[in-house]
Amino acid sequence: MKKIAVCYKWVLSDADIRINERTRELDMEKCKPQINEYDRMGLETGVRLKEASGCELVALTCGAATEASAKDALSRGPDAVYCLDDPVMAVADATATSKVLAAMIRSISDVDVVICSEGSSDQYAQQVGPRLAALLGFTSVSYVSKAEVQGDALLLERKLEQGTECVKVIGPVVVSIVPDICEAPIPSVKQILAAKKKPSIKLGLADIGLSADSVAPLLHVAGVKAPLSERKAVRLNPDGVSISEAATALARQLAADGIL
Amino acid sequence: MSKIWIVAENTAWLAVLAAYAKSLQPDGEITAFVHGDEAAARQGIALGATAAFALPLPADALWESYTPLLAEKARAEQPALILLSAAKRCRDMAAQLGALLDAPCFSDVKNLSLTPDGVSGETLVYGGAGVAQATTRAATVLATVAAKACDPALADASRSGTVATLAPAPGAAQVTARLPREARSVNLDGAAKVVGVGRGLSEQKDLAGIEALAKAIGAEMACSRPIAEFFKWMPEERYIGISGQQIKPQLYLAVGISGQAQHYYGVRDAKIIVSVNKDAEALMNLNADYYIVGDWKEVAPSLIQAFGAV
Repeated sequence: MKKIAVCYKWVLSDADIRINERTRELDMEKCKPQINEYDRMGLETGVRLKEASGCELVALTCGAATEASAKDALSRGPDAVYCLDDPVMAVADATATSKVLAAMIRSISDVDVVICSEGSSDQYAQQVGPRLAALLGFTSVSYVSKAEVQGDALLLERKLEQGTECVKVIGPVVVSIVPDICEAPIPSVKQILAAKKKPSIKLGLADIGLSADSVAPLLHVAGVKAPLSERKAVRLNPDGVSISEAATALARQLAADGIL
Repeated sequence: MSKIWIVAENTAWLAVLAAYAKSLQPDGEITAFVHGDEAAARQGIALGATAAFALPLPADALWESYTPLLAEKARAEQPALILLSAAKRCRDMAAQLGALLDAPCFSDVKNLSLTPDGVSGETLVYGGAGVAQATTRAATVLATVAAKACDPALADASRSGTVATLAPAPGAAQVTARLPREARSVNLDGAAKVVGVGRGLSEQKDLAGIEALAKAIGAEMACSRPIAEFFKWMPEERYIGISGQQIKPQLYLAVGISGQAQHYYGVRDAKIIVSVNKDAEALMNLNADYYIVGDWKEVAPSLIQAFGAV
């Protein structure tokens, strides 16, 4: 193993999504960008493999306005971060993202282990890791819940519907992890300070030999709407109603609905 | 008339994909690929495919190592649509095939349709908080399809077609062992009542109080993803959500669950949803039929008493 590259996505947090009840559109105004939650486990997996193998560790991302992610990414352990920052990537689908990441990895010398997570919290298409492997000609090992270094090889465990598949890989590989592979520690003050001294490389599409046309999305999103909820959302203990009264009301209601 | 390929995790899913393909294009030509032996491939013919290929699990290689072979065939045959099972190995294959063919993929597609202007479909975003409507004009389009997307096609053994078994290309990954998962101790899928717990519980021993509640109404216990995957307080087969179990009980009682879209996705088909949460504004409350605002430690004993009295 020579160099590990962890890919992460700079996504809007879905915790503060508000739904416009009239139009059913998603209001993302209060949502702050963050490193995709599962990718934080990817970064930590990279750190552990670096410690076990002694090789270099870099992080990379692509998207619109991604430069702001560099400090957070660096505080999680990589030696350097590459941020491809281009407004055209705001509408990127998995085809575009994987093409850009592949070109970035080719432009960074010696990367032989790429780590992605199962999916991003926004699109969760579960596509980018294996797509990247196919574009780079690397082996794809997905849904990985355990990764260890053994000499030149990586010993990986995949969590599949049927059970666990143990895989040994020598040579270039894209490992797509599931989030239970490890916990992602919150960076310490020391790590945050150290991140300021590490290199952060901002790239444009031209720097990696791509044009905006070559990364146009193949899926064109016409619109995003919240699915309709037809639930009544009746609070059983409004002001003045005790919990035990609410419990009794619920039991009667469920009995009337034929549930109990 | 365009060609549709179906690539299935097993023969049950093959029947669903065959029905899905026919619903899109009743007289379309279907080619089937199935994880399994030649008998499984013959099932593809019985389900209406004109050609079917068995993709047996290689002894020491990844099943996904059939991908380059499928990409080569797809370049020759130019299918308009490739439908794959929304199962892990098939998802990996869908992504790799998509990259090799420069084709987009609708993941867990809903309302897929073929139109003169291309292919359109819906996918979930933000863990189910939104539905994205997308279209593409790509020559070949992939989609992964859920196991319950439609009723399965009926097999007719009198149908005929060509059947063959493929051999995968050698790859750098060596499978050293396969360990079957432990037998499922629970069938959440068929449970009429389910009580789900989330991070509103502060420690594992809190589960006992909720178990008493579940027992009082004859419900199965379930949980949100963090309870199973991070805290490991409950087995993974009990977690509900977009990446876990999706259930359809008469009653889902959520205790201390914030109700993020990714969890809600797994219970949205429940007949009645009740939420108990100390945060009045919790999403789970707002997406429930009934909710009680309060500490579960106070609410659970009241519920046990009230349910016992009706």
